[in-house]
Amino acid sequence: MKHYEVEILDAKTKDKLCFLDKVEPNATIGEIKSMFHKSHPQWYPARQSIRLDPKGKSLKDEDVLQHLPVGTTATFYFRDLGAQISWVTVFLTEYAGPLLIYLLFYFRVPFIYAPKYDFTASKHWVVHLACMCHSFHYVKRLLETLFVHRFSHGTMPLRNIFKNCTYYWGFAAWMAYYINHPLYTPPTYGEQQVRAALIIFLFCQIGNFSIHITLRNLRPPGSKTRKIPYPTKNPFTWIFLLVSCPNYTYELGSWLGFTLMTQCLPVAFFTLVGFIQMTVWAKGKHRSYLKEFRDYPPLRSPILPFIL
Amino acid sequence: MALAADAVPREGGQTPAAGSAAMSAPAMGTSRPAVADGALGRKRGPGALAAAYLVLYNVVMTAGWLVIAVGLVRAYLARGSYHGLYYSIEKPLKFFQTGALLEILHCAVGIVPSSVVLTGFQVMSRVFLTWAVTHSVREVQSEDSVLLFVVAWTITEIIRYSFYTFSLLNHLPYLIKWARYTFFIVLYPMGVTGELLTIYAALPYVQKTGLYSITLPNKYNFSFDYHTFLILSMASYIPCRGRRSWATWRTTAKWNERAATLHPNAVGSGPPRITYAC
Repeated sequence: MKHYEVEILDAKTKDKLCFLDKVEPNATIGEIKSMFHKSHPQWYPARQSIRLDPKGKSLKDEDVLQHLPVGTTATFYFRDLGAQISWVTVFLTEYAGPLLIYLLFYFRVPFIYAPKYDFTASKHWVVHLACMCHSFHYVKRLLETLFVHRFSHGTMPLRNIFKNCTYYWGFAAWMAYYINHPLYTPPTYGEQQVRAALIIFLFCQIGNFSIHITLRNLRPPGSKTRKIPYPTKNPFTWIFLLVSCPNYTYELGSWLGFTLMTQCLPVAFFTLVGFIQMTVWAKGKHRSYLKEFRDYPPLRSPILPFIL
Repeated sequence: MALAADAVPREGGQTPAAGSAAMSAPAMGTSRPAVADGALGRKRGPGALAAAYLVLYNVVMTAGWLVIAVGLVRAYLARGSYHGLYYSIEKPLKFFQTGALLEILHCAVGIVPSSVVLTGFQVMSRVFLTWAVTHSVREVQSEDSVLLFVVAWTITEIIRYSFYTFSLLNHLPYLIKWARYTFFIVLYPMGVTGELLTIYAALPYVQKTGLYSITLPNKYNFSFDYHTFLILSMASYIPCRGRRSWATWRTTAKWNERAATLHPNAVGSGPPRITYAC
């Protein structure tokens, strides 16, 4: 068997960082990364970006050496992606925060509201309902992170955890402050409004969960394959006929429900900002689907049927 | 009056412009004719029509701020004192400073190669001081701090807009380029001081009257305290203006280094690619 030689150069300075000889032709980039890690222990595989071209796209861990357009002496370029943190860690941290923070406000822990309100309870039942819904939402997210989602990337840059936690925790505190405030004003249309909002919220929570399960089932455990998602027997997935990323659609719906339920402007802001971000993601995902699959259903929109 | 190095527009601090407002008016990159020299991957410059419009825009703005300058001098000479000069130029100040909002549009449309976000923050900070502080809190209009930032803005803008005008016409006198870099050293701190003192002066009145504030309870379960907001704005000057000053200092140093090697009296020595390095 003819062995390859692999040299790894720094993408910016073109310095020779590593030379590997006697590399098997069927070695994967992932294995090469591990070998590189041995000679440079500070660059664990997750923070290595290996490319064929200094300015090119990163090669995938699954790519096999002999199938790449390289000679028997392969030259790769390396870029440090910076300190990495696992997606699971980030998700757990960013979701645990809102769960706990909201409860601090709900139980009116000292130093938030005037001392006479410490550890008192709201007299409005919608406030209790809102707490249950909010908590349910984040517990669901935590459980999905642990048991449902199959991530295509293991890690993200470390600075993301600060950015993401600021966003989630900050908004959670802002919303919770007003909903649990002693001077909170319940919705204008009373029980009718709250009931309708609860139905919307629950419907969308189930819908969102259904989509997550469907997406998980597209991907065998440990794999990173990508397939077109289709509607299943579950009616909540029939929205795939019209939308590429119905998980985001349902998420928007949930927060609209929560906004209606609490009639709280900060919640509306949070919904809006989330919607903008999810639209950006949905459009990107939709575009990748179109690029990757010739037979992608043409009727689908990224996030809102026929609209967006 | 900060300038980035005339390198790739992304140079030096593409940091998120968290309120990175500057004393001088928003970035308006020089226009280049559509055939940009070696400008691979840079934002497209304006076409001929857009270039003509930009020349007109910059001429009008230069003239406007000159009107304000003349107005200040005349009022001073007439009254014999510094106090209350704001009232003599209130209208043109509001008009031309607000007009700078167009510069955001220029970036968005692409006829000016600057960042929409950065330009937006910078214009909005000026507009905020003009309308939400000085105009809204009548009592601060007679403060001397207002004169401090108005003078700083006026001189800066006259230089900046004439700089852009000449650059667009590809005939930039070295004097203007020099002035832009050099005056910044005095004008920027002067402007920042004036702005901070004005906001500070407005605080008691805002608190007393509850200006622009919303209290609980209300049916949208929202509150906003303008007094606290103003204090936070003042605090934000430290990271934002600090970052801006540092970036400009670096740029000026780089420019001086380059100018030292090139012929210093070259007229129209190429319009630099300008984006704000903050």
